[in-house]
Amino acid sequence: MLQDIIGAKKDLFAEGVQTVLRAHENRTRQVALLKGNLIRNNRSEAAGISARVNNRGTFGFASIAEYTPEAAEKVIRAATENALSLGRHSGRNIALPPSVGTGTVALNAEIVDTDQKTIIDVCRTVDNYIEKKYPDLTSRTVIYTEDSQDRIIYSSDACSGHLVTPRCYIYVMMSAETKDGVPVELFKAFGGFGGLKDYFTDPESLYPGIDELYRKLMDKKEGVYAETGYRTVVLGGMMGGMLAHEAVGHTVEADLVRGGSVAGPNLNRQVASELVNLVDFAHTWQGGTVPLPVYLDDEGTKAEDAPLIRNGILVGYMNDRESAAEYGVRPAGNARAWAFSDEPIIRMRNTCILPGKNTVEELIASVDDGYYLVNSGNGQADLTGEFMFGVTCGYEIKNGKLGRALLDTTVTGVAFDMLKTVDMVSNEVEWSSSGFCGKKQRMAVGMGGPHMRCKIMIGGR
Amino acid sequence: MELRETTALLDGILREQGIGKYTYTLSESEKQELNIENGGFKLLRTVFGKAGSLKVFTDGRMGSASGNDLTEAGLRKLAGAAKTAAESASEDPCHDIAPDQGKEVFRQGEYKPDLDRFIERIREFLETAAKEYPEVRIMSGIGSFDRWHRIMRNTNGTEFETFAGQYGFSIEICASDGEKTTGLDYTGVSMKDLDTPFMELGDLRRHLEDIRKSISPETLQGKFTGTVVMTPGCAGEFLSMLLSNYIGEGVVINGTSLWLDKVGEKVASEKLTVSLKPYDERIVIGERATANGFRSEDVTLIDRGVLKTHRLSLYGANKTGRPVVKNTGGDLVAEPGDKTLAEIIAGVDRGLLLGGFSGGEPGTNGEFSGVAKNSFLIENGEIRCAVTETMVNGNLEDVFRRIRAVSKELLCDGDTVMPYIAADGIVVSGK
Repeated sequence: MLQDIIGAKKDLFAEGVQTVLRAHENRTRQVALLKGNLIRNNRSEAAGISARVNNRGTFGFASIAEYTPEAAEKVIRAATENALSLGRHSGRNIALPPSVGTGTVALNAEIVDTDQKTIIDVCRTVDNYIEKKYPDLTSRTVIYTEDSQDRIIYSSDACSGHLVTPRCYIYVMMSAETKDGVPVELFKAFGGFGGLKDYFTDPESLYPGIDELYRKLMDKKEGVYAETGYRTVVLGGMMGGMLAHEAVGHTVEADLVRGGSVAGPNLNRQVASELVNLVDFAHTWQGGTVPLPVYLDDEGTKAEDAPLIRNGILVGYMNDRESAAEYGVRPAGNARAWAFSDEPIIRMRNTCILPGKNTVEELIASVDDGYYLVNSGNGQADLTGEFMFGVTCGYEIKNGKLGRALLDTTVTGVAFDMLKTVDMVSNEVEWSSSGFCGKKQRMAVGMGGPHMRCKIMIGGR
Repeated sequence: MELRETTALLDGILREQGIGKYTYTLSESEKQELNIENGGFKLLRTVFGKAGSLKVFTDGRMGSASGNDLTEAGLRKLAGAAKTAAESASEDPCHDIAPDQGKEVFRQGEYKPDLDRFIERIREFLETAAKEYPEVRIMSGIGSFDRWHRIMRNTNGTEFETFAGQYGFSIEICASDGEKTTGLDYTGVSMKDLDTPFMELGDLRRHLEDIRKSISPETLQGKFTGTVVMTPGCAGEFLSMLLSNYIGEGVVINGTSLWLDKVGEKVASEKLTVSLKPYDERIVIGERATANGFRSEDVTLIDRGVLKTHRLSLYGANKTGRPVVKNTGGDLVAEPGDKTLAEIIAGVDRGLLLGGFSGGEPGTNGEFSGVAKNSFLIENGEIRCAVTETMVNGNLEDVFRRIRAVSKELLCDGDTVMPYIAADGIVVSGK
């Protein structure tokens, strides 16, 4: 964990501008076994210091791959010079956003390192289990990946703090062949916020999930192509999370709103069924910690929840300090940077569609002819809200009962149209947090959602 | 400490720790980056970087570590982490380093930037775009100059030293008529110098033209099987998916590649020839040394439809008993065809000009489905309208077996060289 050696350098912040100084370390630990072969065995640490300066709407940023007091002085000077220099070219002259609070945010957790042998041993145990129990698989991959952010933040007129975000996962991927020799695959991620000791000291605890993954893969081996068209579907919770993040979340990031996203003209309008409520959570929900808690962002704003859709009405955007001032709202801590060399930009944290009242069984039983879309591999969305999710696991629904499994397919729609078709929402939420969101920089984000019945375009043959 | 002194220090530390076999790369870098938001300058970013990556081999076991602390203490930590990782691993003699390739210094691109001229070129582009394409909004843009000094060494005697620098310019754009707004489009180029206005580089102008024509897209009804003409950027995406799913190292090692035993056989249309060409003069900074320590070579992957090789690193080659490919870069070059784009479109009864593909990642069976982005409907040999909520479905292998035509025109964006590629038999479906 970083020791604070930069606090005294706050005295070097220039007058008349807003400055944030950040010490930042990213660690990764990676092990990958492909059919038992160790193909990745790596430990990585990258630390440095950055400063960002806001000179009336023109920003300067500088970073150095060193963690020393001298490096802190250098980046403050360089970022200030960049901001002043660019200000002369840009012609911008925007009032600096007001302070929304100062103080210190306490360290939220610890990063507990695990030695590489323990990581490899855990992966071997899991791999051996799969190899022995499921010899009919054509391939198997077990990947352990752990990454953490460790940040110390000082701001000229906002909060300071020392925060860490450790997370670790084991991905299990399985391949099999259909009777025609066509490969099919499925994967599952285990783990979450914390380190190896929080999830994997007993690898046997993963076995039920691995067994379920195998069963679904065997279903998929016998799978069929979805019938292309506009269909009634039940989206699983993981798909709901993807929808929250990709289809809606990106369109309500204020920088994209300024760029012309569909959310701009729709603020305070009905954009979804009244059953839909969407929040970008900071750190806590229903008395518990969300998957990847954020207590302080990289502008020094203390993190709060950002309500986005309430009873189907678009009620807000996600902001940094500048956009919050522009839209006349309070920033909620969405300005985030992944590495020491990255400047903070508007990012999601834990974006979740809230649960409704129905059970999952009621949703499935209500569909005469449609699909149950369980899991997604990837997703993308556009300014218009047009989205795409790859569907890696799904089933037919016939007369209210699950039928044959689906081969890989894709669903698409326009978010604010599709969300108006949501007419049943289940009473639980599934979260995921293993992925990265890409928007200039990568970022660890959480996403969650309930099961939802809706209409959607599905690809197939 | 100079980078060369750092290498000497690291060699000493590794010897001191009794590590007799290793390979590492140490680098110093600098980035100057100008960020644009909504057509104006927003942020100036300076990044001074250092990096070290080390792979060690002890008793046939491999471990690796990376970091950016190149002080003596940092190097000791790096060496210790890699050594510990190796000692924790199981023995696998397939992990190895390339034989001695000698010592060589590579100088690529522009090492000393002309930042004032670079800013003027960016300003010129923004002004030209605003004047000639008033409906188009440059939502965000990045102009960057990156330079790096890198030394790669291994214990077989190889030393590659690189001094390289390049300019890059990329944009994200949309268009609006005041009421309706298009979706996003993006493009970019890499450059050795600043001799040419950015508007004339890569396909920046075409993207601005196309987004302007996309303000009022139509939704297709029903589905049809037709011809898809992939733009160079889109063709590059599909080729990358094909190569990863059929000849990539992972699918060859695990045996799931459908082209596992197809080297020397026809796997695609004879109209398709695709290579990795790091020494092609149209590639700004081509790979000079592979990740395994070989001097990079130009490699033809598919020659007139015939598969020439899988893409195996030294590890993959040792693991499978197949030849190593001395190229781990992405300098993809496809050969041009004999028809112009206009001739290709004129020959299409019904299909799409596919500007982008947003889809699920195809599995090893090659099946794909996704949304057609920045795309136009072609009917009776003419481009009729932009489309929205339109999906394309097919199979990667089938697409490249059913190539109808490859264009004479080539997109050279500094990183790849790619023509338009038209293929038949793709399912296009609307709402």
